[in-house]
Amino acid sequence: MTNTPSITARAQKSRVHKTQDGVILSFTTVRHPPEGFSPAPRAIGLIELQDGSKVMGSLIVPSELTLAIGMRVKPRMRLERINAEGLRIYDIGYELLAEKPVSTEKFNGYILALTGPSGVGKSTISKLLAHKVSDYVEKVPILTTRAAKEGDGDEYLYISQEEFSALKKKGEIVAATQIPSKTEKRWYGYRSKDIEAIWQHGKLPVVITEMHLLQGLSEHFGRRSILSCGLLPPGKSKRARLSALLHRLRTRGRDTEEHIKDRIKNAEADLDFFRERKELFDHLIVNEDLETVTTTLSGHVLELVKA
Amino acid sequence: MDESIEAALKNAPCSALDIDYVIVANMLAERVNGQAQLGALAASLLPHHPPALRAEAACASGSVALHTACALLESGRAETVLVIGVEKMTDASTEAISAGLMAASDAEKEAPTGLTFPGIFGLITNRYMHEYGLTRDELNLVSAMHHKNAVENPFAQFRTAIPAEKISKSPLVADPLCLLDCSPISDGAAACILSTKFESPIKLAASALTTDALSLTDRATITSFSATKDAMERALAEAEITRDMISHIELHDCFSTAALIALEDMGYATPGHGISLYKEENPNRTLNKSGGLKACGHPVAATGVKQVLDIAKQLTASKKQYGLAHNFGGAGATCCITVLENTL
Repeated sequence: MTNTPSITARAQKSRVHKTQDGVILSFTTVRHPPEGFSPAPRAIGLIELQDGSKVMGSLIVPSELTLAIGMRVKPRMRLERINAEGLRIYDIGYELLAEKPVSTEKFNGYILALTGPSGVGKSTISKLLAHKVSDYVEKVPILTTRAAKEGDGDEYLYISQEEFSALKKKGEIVAATQIPSKTEKRWYGYRSKDIEAIWQHGKLPVVITEMHLLQGLSEHFGRRSILSCGLLPPGKSKRARLSALLHRLRTRGRDTEEHIKDRIKNAEADLDFFRERKELFDHLIVNEDLETVTTTLSGHVLELVKA
Repeated sequence: MDESIEAALKNAPCSALDIDYVIVANMLAERVNGQAQLGALAASLLPHHPPALRAEAACASGSVALHTACALLESGRAETVLVIGVEKMTDASTEAISAGLMAASDAEKEAPTGLTFPGIFGLITNRYMHEYGLTRDELNLVSAMHHKNAVENPFAQFRTAIPAEKISKSPLVADPLCLLDCSPISDGAAACILSTKFESPIKLAASALTTDALSLTDRATITSFSATKDAMERALAEAEITRDMISHIELHDCFSTAALIALEDMGYATPGHGISLYKEENPNRTLNKSGGLKACGHPVAATGVKQVLDIAKQLTASKKQYGLAHNFGGAGATCCITVLENTL
């Protein structure tokens, strides 16, 4: 009864559907395939096809490639098995392509990330941005274990070291970092629920971040979820950029000289990071003039909202 | 079956003649043993041949039989029901058993690719490791703990402790899963009696049955089973308790990753952190004290009934109030959670 017209029609439809390129979501190698199949270990994958549907399929792995999640595959008709009556059964298998694996994380929405050394103007820019496109963006609060300071905006949520560790252990903090400082031990991080709540409001979460937090976010939500903008202080050389930062930090008068020293030291690493981890940034913006920067950024925001 | 019925009657406040319905849970008998009509077969083991039926939901057959018994009792159709889970697997070849078990997956979307059940959980484990960074060494802890627990259980199939590092050194079955990550092929029968007429100190506080898409290709994620989440929510609501009030848990660890996913879906750990409960044991809650499916054995349809009996034994011994058995079929397409209450 396996060759009735309805079964044949369904099988043909399924074969047409399976003839699409795809991406490997997961794979395994069955060491002892069922009776009827070749006894050699059999690579099988769960594949997301171009139309967003998923299928199971045997994998054809060229000898020079190694299987990995996120690899692209193309469909190919292959002999799957020979049944007891000697009938040769063909089906769609998927052949691995020699391309760089892509992210297969669940896509929840976009996040706008502003990264840059302290003093470059991240908070000011995000405030201006929130003002300019307030209908579309919302700032994600930063959890911190450091004490509140005068001049802090509303961007921080202050919690104790113990609370921070507890949240981290529970997996509620998606990205966390400890910013080295001579004077105190400070942790910073983001809670996934804050970001998810903003998505639920239909807005674009904006995070003010630094290198470790950016990497954490990118690992958690997937690189393609993040529109990552690096903010650079004006100046042609590293020395000129650092001195511009030093000047800003001193004039804003929020930190003691000791803190400023720490911050400049960290800023140096941040500037190197822009060069070393280019792939983490979509745009590098020099903050020469606030108006230009906010206009550029709100342009990006509107593009994302439309997308 | 005969032995399990005898044991159930020995511990019950009623006699064989009080049983007015029999439900048999079984998955593979007609395919592997050439025997169908297990209801009549089981009823013939009782002197008065009561009415009987058979329940099948792959590995969840046992708990689905219990759920069916609850429905009969609640409707008033029966007052005392004998529930038996039975599976005879070792008579058949491994190939025949693998093919039989694969019938629990989607016959059009999954089986034709040459997948086996370890293969399906190989896919799940690989994805889980990719998403949450679980390491192979961490995964070893799951089977190691189940084997350690089974040493104390006289009914377990494997009463030997196995050190964690040996788990991943066993032969690969479907990478990253090794032989010692997989529950074995077992023979077994378990029986219990549910009644609205006779009293027992152990009461069934909830039985929640849920289902999900049969094929993994039709689900949004393969690292969490929505059937388990729903069943847990319903079971807690039915028993009117919170998850923290549960003192003993028997998990459906057909493959070691399944135990971790179950703990996360039941809300005992956040996604990706199920392993933390195997790293640090909770003094107020036991996990798979029987040895679980891995070490106690997994006679497919007997498992669901056996888990509930284990919880009853654990509650009686510890004098704690609540225990829970989590049983699912296939790769989580059917899930049934049973909550027991110790009224003593």
